[in-house]
Amino acid sequence: MTPPTATAPEPVTAPLIPPSTHRYADVIHRLEAGGSMLPDTPENLMQIIGIYKAYAVPMDFYWRDLLYIAEQVFLDPLPAFKYFISQEYLDLPNSYAGDQSKLRIWRGGEKAHPELLEFMANGEAGKMPKLLHHLWHDRINMEFAEACMEAMLWHQDMGGRFYDYLDSDAYRANADRAIKAYFRGNPLMLGLYRLFPEMFMEQVKKMSYYANLGLFWEVMAPVFFEMSDIYDEGGFSGVPAAMDFLVNGIFAVAGRPIYHHVYIKGECFEIIPKSEGFTWLYEAALPYVEAVFYRTAPFRGTKSYNAQAYQVPSDQADFHYGILYADVFPVGSAGIPPTLLMQDMLHFLPPYLVDLYKTHKRGEEDQLIQLGITFQRSMYNVTSAVIQALRDALLYPLDDTDPEHLMANRRFFEAQMDRFLRPEARLSQIQTQDYR
Amino acid sequence: MGSSTLLLLLAAPLAGTLLLPLLPATVASVRVRGIAALFGALQLLVGLLCWQTPPADLQLSWLPKLGLRLDLGLDGLSLPLVLLTALITSLSILSAAADQSRPRLFFSLMLATNLGVVGGLLARNALLFVLAFELVLIPITLLVAVWGGEKRAGAAVRFLLYSAVSGLVLLAAVLAFAWFNPAGPLFAFEDLRQAQFSPTAQRWILALLLLSFGLKLPVFPLHGWQPFTYGQTPTPVVMLLAGSVSKLGAYGLLRFGVGFLPETWAAWSPWIAAAGSISAVYGALNAIAQNDIRRLMAFSSLGHMGLLVLGLSAATPLSLQGAVAQMLAHGIIVALLFACVGLIERKTGTTAIPELSGLMNPLRGLPFTMGMLLLAMMAAAGIPGLAGFPAELLVFEGSWTIFPRITLVSLIASGFTAVYAVRLFNRVGFGRLDNERAEWTSTCWSERAPAMALAVLVIAAGLWPTALTGWSETESTGLALRTQPFLSRSAAQPLSLAAAASPLIAVTLPSASELRTS
Repeated sequence: MTPPTATAPEPVTAPLIPPSTHRYADVIHRLEAGGSMLPDTPENLMQIIGIYKAYAVPMDFYWRDLLYIAEQVFLDPLPAFKYFISQEYLDLPNSYAGDQSKLRIWRGGEKAHPELLEFMANGEAGKMPKLLHHLWHDRINMEFAEACMEAMLWHQDMGGRFYDYLDSDAYRANADRAIKAYFRGNPLMLGLYRLFPEMFMEQVKKMSYYANLGLFWEVMAPVFFEMSDIYDEGGFSGVPAAMDFLVNGIFAVAGRPIYHHVYIKGECFEIIPKSEGFTWLYEAALPYVEAVFYRTAPFRGTKSYNAQAYQVPSDQADFHYGILYADVFPVGSAGIPPTLLMQDMLHFLPPYLVDLYKTHKRGEEDQLIQLGITFQRSMYNVTSAVIQALRDALLYPLDDTDPEHLMANRRFFEAQMDRFLRPEARLSQIQTQDYR
Repeated sequence: MGSSTLLLLLAAPLAGTLLLPLLPATVASVRVRGIAALFGALQLLVGLLCWQTPPADLQLSWLPKLGLRLDLGLDGLSLPLVLLTALITSLSILSAAADQSRPRLFFSLMLATNLGVVGGLLARNALLFVLAFELVLIPITLLVAVWGGEKRAGAAVRFLLYSAVSGLVLLAAVLAFAWFNPAGPLFAFEDLRQAQFSPTAQRWILALLLLSFGLKLPVFPLHGWQPFTYGQTPTPVVMLLAGSVSKLGAYGLLRFGVGFLPETWAAWSPWIAAAGSISAVYGALNAIAQNDIRRLMAFSSLGHMGLLVLGLSAATPLSLQGAVAQMLAHGIIVALLFACVGLIERKTGTTAIPELSGLMNPLRGLPFTMGMLLLAMMAAAGIPGLAGFPAELLVFEGSWTIFPRITLVSLIASGFTAVYAVRLFNRVGFGRLDNERAEWTSTCWSERAPAMALAVLVIAAGLWPTALTGWSETESTGLALRTQPFLSRSAAQPLSLAAAASPLIAVTLPSASELRTS
């Protein structure tokens, strides 16, 4: 097994607390030293930044189309063309990129990424009618984004107030207004609404999660583009630096409002108004990481589970089908189907990643798997950023000199690592470069 | 066509056997492989020419004092097997690794094996047949001993012992033919066919023949060498051994047993059929229990040889035609199976079923190889549209009216084929491919080519069964010891089973009234 070429820096002074005896003690010590769960090696840095860039391009489409569906398609009973985003939403300026943005942190432009536009025009197969591109799956696979959204909807109670709000009277009143406005002049649908109000309400809740995820990814896309640009300029010293950039980004936009507006015949219906005070970190980012990285759901890939044989936990909080546990290797394994995202990212790999994949395993033949495993590495780094951000928000600085505070941090890190004790977790695999 | 064409069928492998070791050591292994395959291809080409224009028999005096003559000939029984042997020799040579060690000797011995098998098939003299039969023993033993697996020495010794016994017993049987022949010590097939042996002599000779050819095929309980040897033999050699060499035993039973000793064969046929049926069941059940693909294939082969013996024992026109078809079908199917197993072994380094899983994985598995393996397993299981189906159907159809209970048992055994095929594929093809083990490269087209050619033949023979049955119609009808009850009305006419208008096999099923009257 090839060990990582770099490890956490050795502490210069005697440690204030004894070493951890956890199975992932090495990882915990690295986190306590300000590192990431992913070992700090030049190749890991190259892999994660490269894949962030490849992820950001389809993500630039995901967030636009998610908002398009939430705000425009809304309750269309036959949404066959929901992935055929309108030009208005394709041109929608990113709120956190470009000169017009309210909070200009990152340097990218506000328009859709040029590589995305190029791919949407030609795909892999070349120029042909948009419908054929769609049917041939020669397109951005929005099904992946919807699977993420459904995981967030389905797991519901993951902290924050967002889901509770969806059962509030205020939300129901707003949704009711929007439903009636949307189906005005359509007695059939209005009659159905009267007969089955909860079914319609559930659909609106789903639309609210479309908006939630779209607003979340609207922020993440420029973050990843920026990281890619910085790396290209030689700006990151290592994996921890990349993680710190993510932590800083999380805090920078933590207060971004999460809302759900619907536009019906030109009129805006505020189903979740900005004034409710839902924010990006607590109502979108943390539930997203919990639902998508950790939990998601079984029964999505080629692997099947027998729930009656207790192969599926009875408690949703124990679900472990996310990317941190996913078996990327057999294509279409459990959890969020990484295959669709892998296929999307394949189109936008930076040249240095393509070259890297050529030198390992089967080279170009199996780069879909190689990039899937790279994605898994990168998501461990993102999760590390979230863990560090939570530690920063809830506990004590890493350079605190109070042993009790350090022990509190230790307990927090160990509790986080406990989630990776189950055999499906890929944390131990990503500690070595042999896992490809 | 002149009779000297028959000599060309022998000259091609003989030339290869002698010339390959003389090649300079600097010639790359892959080139030696190509040259060796050319000799096989040349033999195949000559065989096809013989099919188009049947050559006259060749009769040359060799050692007249011993009664040994170079009598060669081709008929509907031997021609398809010669073509099969030439084809499998070429493809098995091409299945060898590009970096085959000691290639000049290896491929020379492969061609020597071919020489023995084809010599046996062309022989029209019992002593010449024995000579050719014995010739096969030497190169195969060396091939196993030098290039075999970890336990190659044991495998080679076991093969040598069983084959030596088989050869000696055959020699004894042939000498007994001469001893008991009232017309004197004659070895020519034509003389043996017309000889009037006493019932006691027939019983002794047939017992020896059954022992000899039963060891060669093999059938239960004479199969002791087979699983071990198949497990240790290099892939190209096992392709030739299972696909072609073992058919020499079946051919011998048909030619000598059914052909020369018909009364005793008919009298003993229930016991022979029972042995075939037990082989079929025993082979299939053992195949289900195996944890190594090569051993599984060995027992599968044992089971299919059992079906072949069933067809021979019934000795109806239909069952004999089925037996010949089974020889051809099993030849290409088992060669394809071992070609695929060889590719799996070359890439993964193992044939242990518990160590393999998920090979159908499209990106890091061996999906193409597994696809061809699936095809071969389906053909072995007798799925319609593939080569195994018409052959097994003919065997069962032909034997059913003679040995209904035994045929029923064999039918069940045939059903077990699907069990081990599904079990194997489920465990090796599906499931999770272990990332830590999957370091192998994918197969390239040149590696796949031999298996692809065999796969095409498996499909073609399934869709056009005349390719399996057409060769032997006349001969098998002539050798038949029993009439097919529901075909007896038209027995005077040539049996036209597969030459029906439909491209798919068309068997005339009996009507209810015909069954009652029979």
